[in-house]
Amino acid sequence: MTDWNAMSDADFRKEVRGFFEAEYPEDLRNLPHRPKFAEIEHWHRKLHAKGWVAPAWPAEYGGMGLNAAKLLIYYEEQQRWGVNRGRDMGVQMVGPLIIKFGTQEQKDYWLPRILSCEDIWCQGYSEPGAGSDLANLRTRAETDGDDFVINGQKIWTTMAHDATHIFMLVRTDQATPKKQQGISFLLAPMDQPGVEVRTITTLSGETEFCEVFFDDARTPRANLVGELNKGWTMAKALLSFERIFIGAPNLAQNALGQLESFARGRGAFEDPVFRDRFAQAALDVEDHAALYSRFADQLKRGETLGADVSMLKIWVTECFQRITELMIEAAGPDGGTVGPLQVGNVNVDVLASFYKARPTTIYGGSNEIQRNILSKAVLGLPG
Amino acid sequence: MTQTDMQPSDQQDLRMLRESARTLFERAGGSGRSRKLRDAGGGWDADMIREMAEAGIFGVTLPEENGGLGMGLAAGGVIAEEVGRVIAPEPVVVTVGLSLGLLRRLCPDHAMMEQLVEGATVLAVAWQERGPNGGPAEPSCRYADGKLTGGKAWVAGAGGAGGFLVVAEGDAGPVLVLAEAGADGLSVEERRQADGSAMGELSFSGTPAGELASGGAVRAALAEAVNDATALAAAELVGLSERAFEITLDYIKTREQFDKPIGSFQVIQHRAVDLNVMCEVAQSGVREALGLMDRQTDPKARARLASRAKARAVTAAKKITRDAIQLHGAVGYTDEFEIALYLNRALVLSAWLGDDAYHRRLWFEAREEEGAAQ
Repeated sequence: MTDWNAMSDADFRKEVRGFFEAEYPEDLRNLPHRPKFAEIEHWHRKLHAKGWVAPAWPAEYGGMGLNAAKLLIYYEEQQRWGVNRGRDMGVQMVGPLIIKFGTQEQKDYWLPRILSCEDIWCQGYSEPGAGSDLANLRTRAETDGDDFVINGQKIWTTMAHDATHIFMLVRTDQATPKKQQGISFLLAPMDQPGVEVRTITTLSGETEFCEVFFDDARTPRANLVGELNKGWTMAKALLSFERIFIGAPNLAQNALGQLESFARGRGAFEDPVFRDRFAQAALDVEDHAALYSRFADQLKRGETLGADVSMLKIWVTECFQRITELMIEAAGPDGGTVGPLQVGNVNVDVLASFYKARPTTIYGGSNEIQRNILSKAVLGLPG
Repeated sequence: MTQTDMQPSDQQDLRMLRESARTLFERAGGSGRSRKLRDAGGGWDADMIREMAEAGIFGVTLPEENGGLGMGLAAGGVIAEEVGRVIAPEPVVVTVGLSLGLLRRLCPDHAMMEQLVEGATVLAVAWQERGPNGGPAEPSCRYADGKLTGGKAWVAGAGGAGGFLVVAEGDAGPVLVLAEAGADGLSVEERRQADGSAMGELSFSGTPAGELASGGAVRAALAEAVNDATALAAAELVGLSERAFEITLDYIKTREQFDKPIGSFQVIQHRAVDLNVMCEVAQSGVREALGLMDRQTDPKARARLASRAKARAVTAAKKITRDAIQLHGAVGYTDEFEIALYLNRALVLSAWLGDDAYHRRLWFEAREEEGAAQ
């Protein structure tokens, strides 16, 4: 087995870049939507055969065992080449959860199935009454013989209509003094009579989000991960490393590139006002990348990231939105037109970019929640 | 470049430099000292300049063969940040960026170099001119037969300078000359600035001056020295912004209204976070730009980096100092509170060597030129 961490950063980057450039299907680069598994299955098979599905997992579980520095390079190259992340909820969330808190039986059973995509996972966290206030969740699971019986509703469940399993936070104790207590982590199959999935049509006409209804749905007690009623602490422990990626520069950088080619084609740079606003946006992206490097360097030195990493997400998502808004301005009377707009020999889907930018300030902890976190945990403000 | 590309030993050196500069300024009285100097008429303290020189501050960016420490602009930026934190009025960026920047490129063996590094004197640099509409104009100040005629504007540090490095038009192109303070036919009008300092307007009528260099090299050296000074002024604004934010954060934690610290109100908290984020982005962006300038030899690329730094630093400093006044409430509008001094200093440093809008324009033009050249 290759010890990737023993390679120099430059060699490893070359290796990863080489593989993506040679093997990733051209027609799947920079996909504007979230694909169903069937659409990217071919690519997943290649990745699986190479043993590269789970870069962050330890090698003993079939991962690449990358350290933070190498992992960052892997993701940077993935983003650089526009490689779709695939249906990676299993790899990103369920695997780490089971590796950290699961039993040997759970590891032996679930981990290989995640890698092969025999099981495709969706995440059941949010509920109609539990968004930013996630601990307010009400979906409950009660024991009945060897099973849990689940009743309630999840919402904003990404790609639930194309998933075989759901990992979810449920309430297993109704009578706790604090709402963060009494929450557990459960794994459950989707294909059963008590589970109903309805897609939600977004304002852009996409259907990647779903509602999932549980009406006496069942899952074996063996599918409880970790200790009963300790799910909240586990969920928080899972988030630490991901927080830098949600603040990565790629979305804004890609949008800036699109904006530039579109604006150039349209002659928008002849307007000095537009030039200045473009320069502002471009410098916002460059200086964000400098801040991102600072946090990435911290990871590379083996340090743990503090709550201050949230500032990356705030800055880059708001910057991403401004860039896509500039695209609409540059489109002028075409600013409301659905589908790609042709400028010279490039096609730019102005509305798709605009829509894609909107939820970034809402998901992964809304930017207002991030500001609350920073004000208390970093600035030490009271209340 | 990321900060990882820097050797750990370099990082360690910069940390030590920062600590010693901070200690020096704090021991001297921090921003309280700056207030006293302002109240005494807006000059600077020649003893402090000598102390700074003893600590090696004026030689940090100079190559070792010129008697410096050879630590580059990155180290100059560390010093400038610390100057900004205590809003020290001493012309550090003028000396490190402009006067030493010109001399080391044009006449590195000149005796003035040593005097500047030792803090024995300060030379102000006169290179810009004012046009009839009040804005900057093309140079017309002449140097012929050992004498200067014409005028120069926006000369920072003119008040206490021992002499002036003047960029003028000679018979065969640009020249760099040295005129002493108090020379015949030299008049210095001091235009009062928001922070109490003075910006000099110089006029020469047959003022004697000694030629130091001439030809195209003068133009090139001036452009590079201005790049350095612009980047260092950006670093000074970063330090200023950081300290202004800290002062404000302390204030909203202690000021009570409605029986609570105002920093417990969410609207105040979110504004404070935005200032903090702005500050961190500016610090990272400006430090990265300075580090890149040290590795870059192409003057155009260096100019673009300097513009990136100044554009960011001014944007951040304006936002932070102005919002700081708002978060202080009515007392923020008084001269008595420390924060006012930071706002006033930020106004001066923002305007000097070009503000954010100006540098975004330069940055964009440089980027276009680079794109067209490819």
